[in-house]
Amino acid sequence: MPQDRLVNNTLPLSEIRHRLAAADGPTYWRSLQELSCTDEFRQSIADEFPALGERFNDSTSRREVLKIMAASLALLGITGCFYKHPQEKIVPYVKTPDQTIPGLPLYFATAMPMNGYGIGVLALSREGRPLKIEGNPDHPASLGAANAFMQASILDLYDPDRSRTVQRSGRTATWSNLLGILNPRLQTKLTNGSGLRLLTGTITSPTLLSQIQQFLQRYPGSQCHQYDPLHTPDGELPKNIFTTPLDTLHDFTKADVILTIGSDFLTTHPASLRYARQFIDGRRVRQDHLKMNRLYVIESAMTLTGSMADHRLAIAPSDFQLHTARLGHMLGIGGDVVPESRSVPSLSVQKQHWLDTVAADLTSAATSLIIAGADQPPSVHAMVHRINQRLNNIGRSVYHIDSVAPSAQHSLKDLVTDMQDGNVDTLLILGGNPAYDAPIDIPFASMLQNLSTQRRGRDYQNLTIHLGTHANETAWNCQWHIPQSHYLESWGDIRAHDGTASIIQPLIAPLFASKSEWELMETLLDHPDRDGIESIRNHWAKSVTSDFETWWLQTLQRGTIDGTSAPLRKDLTLRPDLPGFSFSDETPHPENAEIIFAPDPTAWTGEYANNAWLQELPKPFTKLTWDNAIAINVRMAENLGGSARPLVDGHIVRVDYQGRSLEAPVVILPGQADGVIAMTLGYGRTHGGTVLTDDGAPRGYNAYQLRTSARPWVDVGARVTFTGRIVPLAITRNHHAMDTAPGMNSIEQSLKPQNIAQPGISEENLELHNRKIVRTATLEQFQQNQNVIQNLDIASRKPLLSLYQPWNYDHGLQWGMSIDQTACIGCNACIVACQAENNIPVVGKEQVMRQREMHWIRIDNYFSGPVDSPSVYHQPVPCMHCENAPCEYVCPVGATTHSDEGLNEMTYNRCIGTRYCSNNCPYKVRRFNFFLYSDYDSNTRRLQHNPDVSVRSRGVMEKCTYCVQRIDNTRIEMEKQVLDLREQARLALEPADQKRLLLAADERGRQIIAGLQTACQQSCPTQAIVFGDLRDPQSQVARLKREPADYGLLTDLTTKPRTTYLARFTNPHPDLAPGTLA
Amino acid sequence: MAYVFHPLTNTIAKAGVFVAVLLIGGVVWVAAEIERSPWVSDAGVHRNQPIPFSHEHHVRGLGIDCRYCHNSVTESASAGMPSTQVCMTCHSKIWTNAAVLEPLRQSWETGTPIAWQRVHNLPDYVYFNHAAHITKGVGCTTCHGQVDRMPLMLQAAALNMEWCLTCHREPARFLREREDIFQPDYQLPPNQMELGSQLAKRYDLLPPQLMQNCSLCHR
Repeated sequence: MPQDRLVNNTLPLSEIRHRLAAADGPTYWRSLQELSCTDEFRQSIADEFPALGERFNDSTSRREVLKIMAASLALLGITGCFYKHPQEKIVPYVKTPDQTIPGLPLYFATAMPMNGYGIGVLALSREGRPLKIEGNPDHPASLGAANAFMQASILDLYDPDRSRTVQRSGRTATWSNLLGILNPRLQTKLTNGSGLRLLTGTITSPTLLSQIQQFLQRYPGSQCHQYDPLHTPDGELPKNIFTTPLDTLHDFTKADVILTIGSDFLTTHPASLRYARQFIDGRRVRQDHLKMNRLYVIESAMTLTGSMADHRLAIAPSDFQLHTARLGHMLGIGGDVVPESRSVPSLSVQKQHWLDTVAADLTSAATSLIIAGADQPPSVHAMVHRINQRLNNIGRSVYHIDSVAPSAQHSLKDLVTDMQDGNVDTLLILGGNPAYDAPIDIPFASMLQNLSTQRRGRDYQNLTIHLGTHANETAWNCQWHIPQSHYLESWGDIRAHDGTASIIQPLIAPLFASKSEWELMETLLDHPDRDGIESIRNHWAKSVTSDFETWWLQTLQRGTIDGTSAPLRKDLTLRPDLPGFSFSDETPHPENAEIIFAPDPTAWTGEYANNAWLQELPKPFTKLTWDNAIAINVRMAENLGGSARPLVDGHIVRVDYQGRSLEAPVVILPGQADGVIAMTLGYGRTHGGTVLTDDGAPRGYNAYQLRTSARPWVDVGARVTFTGRIVPLAITRNHHAMDTAPGMNSIEQSLKPQNIAQPGISEENLELHNRKIVRTATLEQFQQNQNVIQNLDIASRKPLLSLYQPWNYDHGLQWGMSIDQTACIGCNACIVACQAENNIPVVGKEQVMRQREMHWIRIDNYFSGPVDSPSVYHQPVPCMHCENAPCEYVCPVGATTHSDEGLNEMTYNRCIGTRYCSNNCPYKVRRFNFFLYSDYDSNTRRLQHNPDVSVRSRGVMEKCTYCVQRIDNTRIEMEKQVLDLREQARLALEPADQKRLLLAADERGRQIIAGLQTACQQSCPTQAIVFGDLRDPQSQVARLKREPADYGLLTDLTTKPRTTYLARFTNPHPDLAPGTLA
Repeated sequence: MAYVFHPLTNTIAKAGVFVAVLLIGGVVWVAAEIERSPWVSDAGVHRNQPIPFSHEHHVRGLGIDCRYCHNSVTESASAGMPSTQVCMTCHSKIWTNAAVLEPLRQSWETGTPIAWQRVHNLPDYVYFNHAAHITKGVGCTTCHGQVDRMPLMLQAAALNMEWCLTCHREPARFLREREDIFQPDYQLPPNQMELGSQLAKRYDLLPPQLMQNCSLCHR
């Protein structure tokens, strides 16, 4: 495995600090390595494919290479001759299913379960195969958007590693084998069910809940236990601060000032997609709309919500209670909740000033909203509730409903206690993977193994059954494993965060002999062969008063069930026995670091660890793929490695915590709070697939091995030491860098003092080569001068002449894209959406380290400000579709050409793989198939391929096409409908009718074109990406391109990109320094 | 010093140059002709089908419209192959005992689809759309030939890119009135060029250079 040269060098951190402090004006940097400006880094950027050189160090001799090359050429000559298509067959239907038209897509409204909550989706089906997930615009938790997990869930359906048959002790068995064992045992439980246990995750499904009720009644004494790695411990759940469990909902459109206390509401909340849309809707600054909300964030680790903050306060987790208490005190909430002011430790002057400003801003704002993270203790939630009450937010921006997910009757801990006491003899595990994700102090895995292997004579004494999509760690500890149906192949129902219920409808019959949890419950209720649809229909038929069949079809069509959203609760009483605040006065440091556990941005809690799309998705900020790492900030890197040789990405540290220890690599993440180590869950898995392991070894480290049930989210007292070893990590942070020609580095331009003396670079040249890829302004600056962004444009001041004839674009449709950087939250949904739509392969960790990842759109992170407290900007970069595209002129075979609609086209079957185009692309958006990355062979995987897009083979260049397949299909649909109307007009007798029909034709055409969305645009939660026809002045994209904040990347090269950007606006408080306070 | 080469060598060498050029040219010409020939393109080749379906009988003899069986041709990229059910609308009533229709009855009874031999097969990197062509006034027989004279279906044209471009470069040579699109025995009128250019305007055809954009067919 190659060592990533970018990772492996040391960082002159003190020098970087010094240079940043001396910088002139804002400086934007993608990584610390870039800031270091070392020769090694420059060299790696200057090479177009930096890792290519190593290939030629292989033991293969030069002579052998030439021999193979000659033989390949000779063979190529033979295979290239007279290619005849293989004789194919056409197999039509026997009876064409209703509404199916071969070649046209069908959408079905269904819902994807995520940690028990449903998010509405529209799943696209082509000839019976589900191909793509889109959000359901009518569903409250989606509003039309789909996150990376939803997009990637389609790959899970076709995962070749899924369980295919019922298994007994790892051997193939049948459903009737299982029933032969299960049914007699259930018979004995009818009179006394004690010993019979169910273990489930969080459940909101109305049908499943009623089935469980029936189960508990049918087998008296049986118990249902619940465990969800995201919802522990039960007693401290935020919903329990009230006398009855209540969920708190938020309306971000109703808030001018927003404060989040540890809540990453943009990504980890069941309503994240909705909240992200609402939050960004309050921030879209346009020339005629000069208003935006203001976001204050208090957090420890770096989250996407924190990256969107106008002011961010990075504090250790143990300080949250203190800061919340202070804030409450300043807003006049005292008495029993906040201890006397003198007993609350005081804060540093800057932090006190920060809180003072926030408190004043909250009080003076017309509307506001305060939200606390689900991982915060009840004391913080109670205080946040009081502050919201004080600020009159309840009922305006903050709502309460009866908790959607009923509280668990019994916990995992109860179950393990009972198992230890011998009170359990039959255990059914409905999904999930508790043997892997249970807290380390609850020995569930070993108890489960005991239970499964205890024998009475020759027979097993107990019965353990696991239902799961994969034979995971839990399955291996059970006697029986039943394949679980994917949500796209089973009937079910589920509630969203606000209670809205949806029917889950299948698009395809189960690929394997699998059962859904609803079907398994029916088996336990003595209906072993009942189809899932019957259970769901029976359940809802009881509550529907109108004609059921009509209701059923309407509900399936809409994707939500009318009248199921939970009613608002007005009677809010806090529990009197809530624990008070407790304050820590210790300052964290490596000997006593604070530890954070969070779901991983790509593997989540472990359930997506076998999804290759997600594994190869660069995680926000760190841009790490295929692994997880411990995030530490720059100061801790210095503390651990010494200021002369601070730790770099991949250095392995040992974490000792509560008598347990773990070794894992670190990534350096500027902006994290001091003395904090941030761990992500979901890695270190051992069973359940070929993607989640690397040659048999688990990928990443398993943070569950340190996670306790008492402190599942944050704790103090972790000891961190450097082991002296390093491991290669696949980090894409420095890949595909723009604007960094050696000596012409924008970083260096900003760090003028030592570079201005460089020979051959005049100040004028420096200015010319500082391309200002990221452009930002505050709302105030923009209000004062709308040209503030355009004034940064050097191309307008120094126009270069183009050698090429300009294209003529005065006809037809002209495509363009606008990306709003104020709206982009860096969530990665677009990357996976693009991957699903365009058959983009994964390449694996080793290839990512060689900079060969294939994503057509990447999200660059730019930091600005000091390394200890930077601000972050997200910039999605797809192909720019330049009007003067540098790639086109250098292609020797005309494989990349220009279309008259302004597309930069790629014709794969012409490409011979010279890679000149990629070399000449200033934006580095072209991707080359160095090997045969596409999967042509897996019998299930290839079912997912989009039939409208070529699956690329080895040796072919590819890149963003603006989803040309969608463009073509939409254009054809538009022409069809418009021409039909025009023909009607031609044949109409009355001139008035003719005129009306012609107008209708034009309008229809415009509507259809306006409805065209690229895959990235469609999935974007915040509508940051807008695509459309530039020639229609009314189109959304044309309007955005007229904005004064519109600018193009590297336009001084006269590339005339069709993709342009709207600058990032922030809305800092005049009394506070912008960015992070650490 | 004696001459190393025979005096004739110069002549042979000069002639050799011409022979070599002719030879290479000839090889290229032969290769190009083979590439265009029915041997490669399969044009004019009959295929044995599970049921010897005759378009001549059904179209010319019975006058069944193209769209009765190929019913998605105006809507979708795919023209659509008739399901067994479509065949059975008639054949459950007529020719119910015909031996050649045994596979059809088998399919209907067992629910197993009929596997027809594909006659028109474009490479996978070509995205042809039937509906788009119908919308713009390209008749069925322009590409598929006189189907009503084909007792067994065969591919009438070469279906190579050169052939596609003859129309994409100069569509006026082939366009028809809308009502004539499905005429199986349609003959181009003498004033085709005039009619074609009128129709091109009326059907709002993309400008010729756009009709040759790569991404129109390759993606």
